[in-house]
Amino acid sequence: MIRNFFEWVMGPMGRIAVLITALSLFSLTAFGIYQTQQPPDQPIEFTHKLHVGLGIQCLYCHPGALRGPSPGLPTQTKCWGCHQQMEKTFDPNFPELSEKLVGYIERNEPIPWVPVAQVPDFVHFTHRPHIAAGLNCENCHGDMTQVEIAENPQVLNMGWCLNCHRERAANDPEKLVKLTDCGTCHY
Amino acid sequence: MSENISRRDFLKLATVGAATTAVLTGCGPASRYIKREPYMEMPEYTYNGLSTYYATTCRECAAGCGLIVRTMQGRAIKVEGNSNNPVNLGKTCARGQATLHGLYNPDRVQGPLKRTRGTPFDLRTNVSVTWDEAVQVVADAINNNNPSEVAFLLGMAPDHLFDLVSDLANAIGAPAPIRYGALSMFEARATLIKASENLFGTAALPFFDIANSDLVLSFGANFLETWLSPVAYTRGFAKMRRGNPKRRGHFIQFESRISQTAAKADEWIPIRPGTESLVAAAIGRLVAEAKGGAVSEVFANVDLNEVLSSADIKLETLEHVAEMVGEAESAIVIPGGSALGLSNGLQTAETILTLNALADNFGKPGGVYLSPFLPNQDTYHRPASAQEMAEFIEKMKSGDVKVLFVHGVNPLFELPESLGFADALGSVQEVISFAVFPDETALASDYIFPDHHGLESWGYQRVATGTEQSVLSGAQPVVSPNYDTRATADVLLAASQALPFKDEMEFLQSKFASLVGQADDSFSAPEINTFTAYFQQHGGWWKKSSELVSPSATDTLGRNFAVEQAEFAGEGEFFFLPFVSPTLGEAGANKPWLQELPDPTTTVMWNTWVEMNPETAHELHIENDDVVKIISEAGEVEAPVYLYPAIRPDTIAMPFGQGHTAYGRYAAGRGANPAKLLGQHFNEAGDLAFAGMRVRIEKIEGKKQMLSRLESRIGVYNEGLEEH
Repeated sequence: MIRNFFEWVMGPMGRIAVLITALSLFSLTAFGIYQTQQPPDQPIEFTHKLHVGLGIQCLYCHPGALRGPSPGLPTQTKCWGCHQQMEKTFDPNFPELSEKLVGYIERNEPIPWVPVAQVPDFVHFTHRPHIAAGLNCENCHGDMTQVEIAENPQVLNMGWCLNCHRERAANDPEKLVKLTDCGTCHY
Repeated sequence: MSENISRRDFLKLATVGAATTAVLTGCGPASRYIKREPYMEMPEYTYNGLSTYYATTCRECAAGCGLIVRTMQGRAIKVEGNSNNPVNLGKTCARGQATLHGLYNPDRVQGPLKRTRGTPFDLRTNVSVTWDEAVQVVADAINNNNPSEVAFLLGMAPDHLFDLVSDLANAIGAPAPIRYGALSMFEARATLIKASENLFGTAALPFFDIANSDLVLSFGANFLETWLSPVAYTRGFAKMRRGNPKRRGHFIQFESRISQTAAKADEWIPIRPGTESLVAAAIGRLVAEAKGGAVSEVFANVDLNEVLSSADIKLETLEHVAEMVGEAESAIVIPGGSALGLSNGLQTAETILTLNALADNFGKPGGVYLSPFLPNQDTYHRPASAQEMAEFIEKMKSGDVKVLFVHGVNPLFELPESLGFADALGSVQEVISFAVFPDETALASDYIFPDHHGLESWGYQRVATGTEQSVLSGAQPVVSPNYDTRATADVLLAASQALPFKDEMEFLQSKFASLVGQADDSFSAPEINTFTAYFQQHGGWWKKSSELVSPSATDTLGRNFAVEQAEFAGEGEFFFLPFVSPTLGEAGANKPWLQELPDPTTTVMWNTWVEMNPETAHELHIENDDVVKIISEAGEVEAPVYLYPAIRPDTIAMPFGQGHTAYGRYAAGRGANPAKLLGQHFNEAGDLAFAGMRVRIEKIEGKKQMLSRLESRIGVYNEGLEEH
C-alpha cells in the first residue's frame, strides 16, 4: 500500500498535493506558534507606555520586586488613588477607564490581571536578589516606555538566564558555581 | 489505503501529530497564562509572594492547642502547631491539620437560612434571609418568650461564647447554657471530675504527669488518641519514653482491644470488660502486701481468686504488674474512657486514684495533680454528662423549652438515639442553629444562622488540662470570612441588648481585663489594647511557670467502698465496645483528609467496621467484609466485619465518627453510628455506661461490603493467596 502511495506522490498530481499539504502544514504551524507568542487579553487595556512615560517608577506599582520573590500586581486602591482625582477617569470617551476601571471599583471586585512574564513552576525565581545585584527592571523586562499592553519581552528560558549568569560571574569561579548551580533555581 | 496501514506507519504519523500539537499548544508562554486577582486593599504588612502567619487556636476539639496558620494572599494554606503554646509546643494532631478542610468545605452553610425542619439541605427548600432579619428572629425569640423557656445548647468549644451566653442567660434570667460533646461522653469526663471531687474535695480535672513517670498503667484511657488533651499527653508520653537518657518509661494498658494507645504499650492486658476496678484493687492489694504494713480496706476486701476468674487474668500477670508498681520510682495509674463508661465507673475511677495514693504520687513529679484554673476562672465548667442531657431532653419533651439555640454541637448525631433527642425537638417551638455545616441538628432546625468557621473567628479557649501552667489559648481570624456568615457572639449581642457590649471584641476585652498586669505571665502589657495585640501575636496568654495544684487528699487510703464487677445491660454473647475513631473524632467525617487517613490499628478508610476476633469469627463462619447486624436492647446497626486478632474473643468493637445522614457530601450516607446501640444506662456520676452493653450479632447471609484499607489482604491470615 505504501509503495502505491509513493508512486502516486512521484506523479505530477502527487507533487502538487505534497506542495499544498506542506504549505498548509507550515502555515498552520506558523500560525499556531504565532498565537502562543501573543500577549493575553487583559481585563483593562492598561498602557505601560503612558504610565511609565509619565515618570511613574516601576517599583511604585510593583514594590514586591525590591523585597521578595514576587513584584506583585497593584491593588485597585493604588489605581484609584490617582485616578479618582482625574477628570479623564470619568470621561465616557475613555471606556477603559470610565466603564471598566470605575466598574471594578464600584463592584468592589479585584481586577483579574494576567501576568505575562512567567516562568514554569519548577523554577523558583525571586526578584529580590536580582534587584540587589544592581539589575534594573528593563534588563529583563525590556523598555516598558515602548510597550502599550503588557507583553512578554523575550523568551524566559534557561539558556537566556544562564547566559546572563555566566556573563556576570565573569572569571570568578566561585561565583560561577553559585550562579550556575542547578539548586540555585530548581529546589 | 487504510486497509493495511502498518503499525510502524501509524506510530510515525502519531509522533508527527503529537509533536505538532505540542509545538502549537504546549511550548509557548500562553500555556502558562493564568489570571491573578490582586488584593483590593492590600494589608500593609503583606508582601506579595511572601506568606503571612497568624497564631490562633484549634477548634477541632476542646483541648485548645495553639496553631500557626500560613496564609498567602488572604488564603489559609497550611496549619502547624504554635511552638510557644504550652499545650502542644508546636505539634498538632491530624484533626488539627485537617481544619482547612472545614474552612474550604464545599458544603458549608453560606448564609442565614430559614428552613422547613427535616427537609434535605437543598437550595429549593432553603430560604435565604438577611442578617437583619436573622437578628430580629433571635431578638424575638429571646424577648417574646419567658426567659425560663429559652435554652442554649453549646459545644465544648469555644469558651468565650460559653462565657458570653452564660452572662447573657444570667442577665435575662434564662437557665445557664448546657454544654455537651460526644468526646466528653466517651472519655467519661464527668466521672473523672466526680471522682476527683470525692477524693480531693475539688471538682477539677486531674493532670497525670506521665512525662516524669517511669511506669504508666492505663485503664482504658486513650490518651494518645482523643482523651482530654491528646497532643499534650502524646508529648508527655514521648518524654516519658525518651526524655530521660537513663531510663525508658514502661507503659501497660488494660483494655479489651488494642487501641492506638494500647498499640504503643509495652504490655497489653486484655482483662474482661467490667472488671477494671477489681483488677486495680487486686494490684493495690498485692502492692500493699509487698510493701508491708496495713493494707487499706478497699484493697483488703478483694478476693484475689475471684478477680482471677472474673477478670480472665493470670496470677503471674497480676504479681508481675504489682512488682513493677512496687519497684517503680514514680508509678502512675490513669483511669479513663471505657473503664469509666460502665455502671461502676465512678467506683473504678476512685479505686484507680486510690491506687495512685498507694504509689504515693499525689503532687509529685510523675504523679497526679489537679489542673490549674486561670486567674479569672472560678470553677471548671464541665460539659453535661449524658444523664444531665437526658434530664434536659425530658424538659424539652415536657414543653418547658420554647426556644432552643444550638451552637457547636450536633446532638442528633452525638447523643445515643435512645435518649430521644429527635422526638424532644418536636416539642420545641423554635430551634435556631448556629451551625457552620449542615449537620443533622441544623437540618432539624427552623433557622440556620451560620457562625464563622474557627479559622475566621475571634475567641479564646481555656485549657482545661494537659499543661502545667494555666493557659488561655487565643483565636483570631486568619482569613476574612469566605461566606456571608456572622459571629454568633455578635448576633446575640445585637439581638438582646442585655449585655453592655458593642461587639464580640469588646466582650473579649472585658474578659481580658483581669489578666492585664498579672505576675509571671507570658508577656507583660501595661493596658488592655496592648494586651489584646500581644494576645493575638502570641496566640494566647499563659503563665510562665508551673501552677499545678497538689491534691489535698486526706487519708485517701483510709476510705472504704465496695469494689464490685460492673453490670451489663441487655442480652447477647458479646461485650460491646464503642470507641471514638482516633482519626475522625466526633466531627471529622466531613473532611476528606481525615476520611482518607487510615485508622492506625486496622488501616480502614472511609467506612465503619466491626472488630471481631478471628477465632470467634471462625466459629460463627464469618469472614472479613461480611456484613453483620449488631443488635442491642436499644437498636441495631449493620456494618462489615474486620477480623482483628487484637481483641478479646468475647468482645466486639466499633468506631464512633461515621454514620451521618447529613453533614455534607463526604460524611452523609457513609458507615454506621454505634451510638444507635447505646441504651439509657448511667453510672453514679451520670456518665453514660457506653461500654456496659451486651449485644448479639446476626450474619446477613450473602451480603459483603469490601472495606477499603491500606494493609494488604494477603498476609493477613493468608487471605486471597489462592488467587495470586
